[in-house]
Amino acid sequence: MLEKIRAELPELSISEVSYPERGYHLAMDAGREQILKVVGFFDKNGFYLEDLFCVDYVEYLELVYFFNNHCGLFRVKTVVRLEPDKPTAPTISDIYAIAHWYEREIHEFFGVYFENHPNLAYLFLHDGLDSYPLRKGTVKVPEEDRKLLGSGAYKESEDTFFVNLGPQHPSTHGVLRVVIKMDGEYILSAEPMLGYLHRMHEKMAENRNYAQFLPNPGRMDYLSALNFNLAYVETVEKISGIIVPERAQYIRTITCELNRISSHLLWLGAFLADLGGLTPFLYAFDDRENILDILEGVTGSRLTYSYFRFGGLFNDVDEKFADGTRAFLERMWKRLDIYDQLITKNVIFINRTKGVGILERDMVRKFGCSGPVIRGSGVPFDMRKLEPYAAYQHTDFEIPVAQNGDILDRYMIRVKEIETSLRIIGSALEKLPAGPFNAEKVPKKLKPPKGDVYHTVESPRGQLGVYLVSDGSETPHRMRWRVPSYSNLMTFPFLAQGVLIADAVAILGSLDLVIPEIDR
Amino acid sequence: MKTLIEFYPVFIFLLVSFGFTVAPMVIAFLIAPRTSGAKTLNTYECGADPFGGAWIRYASVYYIYALIFIAFDVDVLYLFPLAVSYTRGGNAYEFYSLLVFIALLALAVIYAWGKGVFTWKRKIL
Amino acid sequence: MGKRSFYLETKDPIIKFAMLEKVLDLARANSLWPLQFGLACCAIEMMSTAMARFDMDRFGAGIFRSTPRQADLMIVSGTVTKKMAPLLVTLYEQMPSPKWVLAMGNCAISGGPFVYEGQYNVVEGVDLLVPVDVYVPGCPPRPEGLLEGLMKLEEKITGTRRFPTPEKRW
Repeated sequence: MLEKIRAELPELSISEVSYPERGYHLAMDAGREQILKVVGFFDKNGFYLEDLFCVDYVEYLELVYFFNNHCGLFRVKTVVRLEPDKPTAPTISDIYAIAHWYEREIHEFFGVYFENHPNLAYLFLHDGLDSYPLRKGTVKVPEEDRKLLGSGAYKESEDTFFVNLGPQHPSTHGVLRVVIKMDGEYILSAEPMLGYLHRMHEKMAENRNYAQFLPNPGRMDYLSALNFNLAYVETVEKISGIIVPERAQYIRTITCELNRISSHLLWLGAFLADLGGLTPFLYAFDDRENILDILEGVTGSRLTYSYFRFGGLFNDVDEKFADGTRAFLERMWKRLDIYDQLITKNVIFINRTKGVGILERDMVRKFGCSGPVIRGSGVPFDMRKLEPYAAYQHTDFEIPVAQNGDILDRYMIRVKEIETSLRIIGSALEKLPAGPFNAEKVPKKLKPPKGDVYHTVESPRGQLGVYLVSDGSETPHRMRWRVPSYSNLMTFPFLAQGVLIADAVAILGSLDLVIPEIDR
Repeated sequence: MKTLIEFYPVFIFLLVSFGFTVAPMVIAFLIAPRTSGAKTLNTYECGADPFGGAWIRYASVYYIYALIFIAFDVDVLYLFPLAVSYTRGGNAYEFYSLLVFIALLALAVIYAWGKGVFTWKRKIL
Repeated sequence: MGKRSFYLETKDPIIKFAMLEKVLDLARANSLWPLQFGLACCAIEMMSTAMARFDMDRFGAGIFRSTPRQADLMIVSGTVTKKMAPLLVTLYEQMPSPKWVLAMGNCAISGGPFVYEGQYNVVEGVDLLVPVDVYVPGCPPRPEGLLEGLMKLEEKITGTRRFPTPEKRW
């Protein structure tokens, strides 16, 4: 692969990077004119756009593109350097569809203009801001930009009407607003509007030191807070070179898998409540309370955990945790039969979900989807197998994959993932080694060396990535979170075209979105 | 005049049903506080402002649904007195004429079924 | 964000006397219908409170209405951002009188853990937008905390508590 890149793009400066230390394989420096050629090359060779964001070093801005492959792991970081006042770059939204929204986000946070972009309107922020938020100094938003960044004008016509699937609705994704243009009962176009829960996590990361930022990842995705905590803590450990003892790795794995089960259970209840079946909600929450009790005894909180520390855990687990987990495992294996009878064999459920919302493989690559969404379309892509972290390489499990890509397949995959998690917890509990639960000599105020690092983790919704730029001081220079729900959500406008609105709500539920992680 | 007096149960039924619907509204008008804000009387659109008009041209299949409903409704209207008087004993002739009546009304529904009014395509674009 | 005060006019009912008000207050306190307004993490705890373990339905408050026209309690659970603020005020105005607001969680009380020097997007407390009756602190508060908040709201409406306050043991 490296030779192929060198052969086709000889004029770029390419450097090989040590993967275990940095998290990516290649770093490329491209100019503004060459970036389209580079992106076209990656698209032809089957790569997907993992992330696209901007970093503000005060003398210049850097647009960072990350490309990765679904078939094997090969992460390439491409960097385009831009000058700080009126930075412009060509858009790649016609090559990779997901870049449309990444570029809108970069524009409103950094002030980078993208030529030929179809609609550079505000995505996350409200209209009343004076300066670009994530720039290091105060850079004012020019007047002509203010007029262009409105909420979007909608063309009305005689036959169609607009409906708000508004921020306040009975589904439990969070505050997502979708403006739907409808013709009778069919949807002609759906446009998600985000930013109703933008809580400035990335800006807070630049204002707090590493230990002070620990509560934040849990609030980003509250349903799988431990997975987000793990991503953050492992990223900082990677850049600082802290080695975590074995016992802590196993306990991290067990607690993350428990959190995954609880997140999938809540998704189950909420998804069926979207479809109209309100009973499984109660069953799912009953099982979930069991998990929450186990985790509360160890971490101290029920929902937004901050259990991991740099180098290990906050405190050790005791026998009560192990006994409670074993009892839960036994109980859960029997409860899965209830869900099977209640839901999977239900004729109404099968009729509503079979053949609806089919996501093809090529679209999955163009959008960079991950998680059960991509595994439902036949691609066996799971970061726990591809880039094992914590103790996953010592546990034995299979990833469920389905072929059709409709809603029923995504549901079946999530149910099978609950079973997979139960197996992982069982095998990790047996192999739990004794020993210290914290690395020694971790400084109280961490000052990691200069550099950047990328780390990914498999959250229940998909691939979660953290990119950390450290400038040697106590606070990070830039922390970027690549959240799985962002790329999963952006398939919705394409999936929902021309379907009945009841099917569109089912599709939205099956994508398993948690909006606070999108809005960050 | 005499026959009109015989309908007194119907009049009492009419008065009670009228009172049943109107009395809660009157009670609420009398004993509940009233609030009005800037956006109280707006259409509920999940908190956002609605845009675009609502007086648009709808698809004609909704009209056909309304027609089918009317067919059923008239059906029921004619069956009410039949149901009341059926207990006085009858002969086979009444039963078969009733069957013919219902079959003729059901023809409208079967015609609509055959024309595909009840099947909606899952995806049109 | 808009103006801090909003235009809301409440007229007294036509018939009003003490005995009737007492009965009506008792009826309203024991059948508070919340509006589903889950914004962030506290919404999950609110859902847990409504589920089988910490049942909120036994206090009459279990039916969550999706439309503000049928609700009389707005449980603001989660962070209110400046983009969301006008929508919250619109929903509050669309609720019929008498209505109450319960601010659940630290974010709804005063902005929560997201207030830092130079923050640009979080409304520091929902009482800057609508009048709040009960504050339930926590991040997120436990379901028992939310139930206690409900009890306090019932006490505010009727004047008496349904259950006695547990005595302090330390």
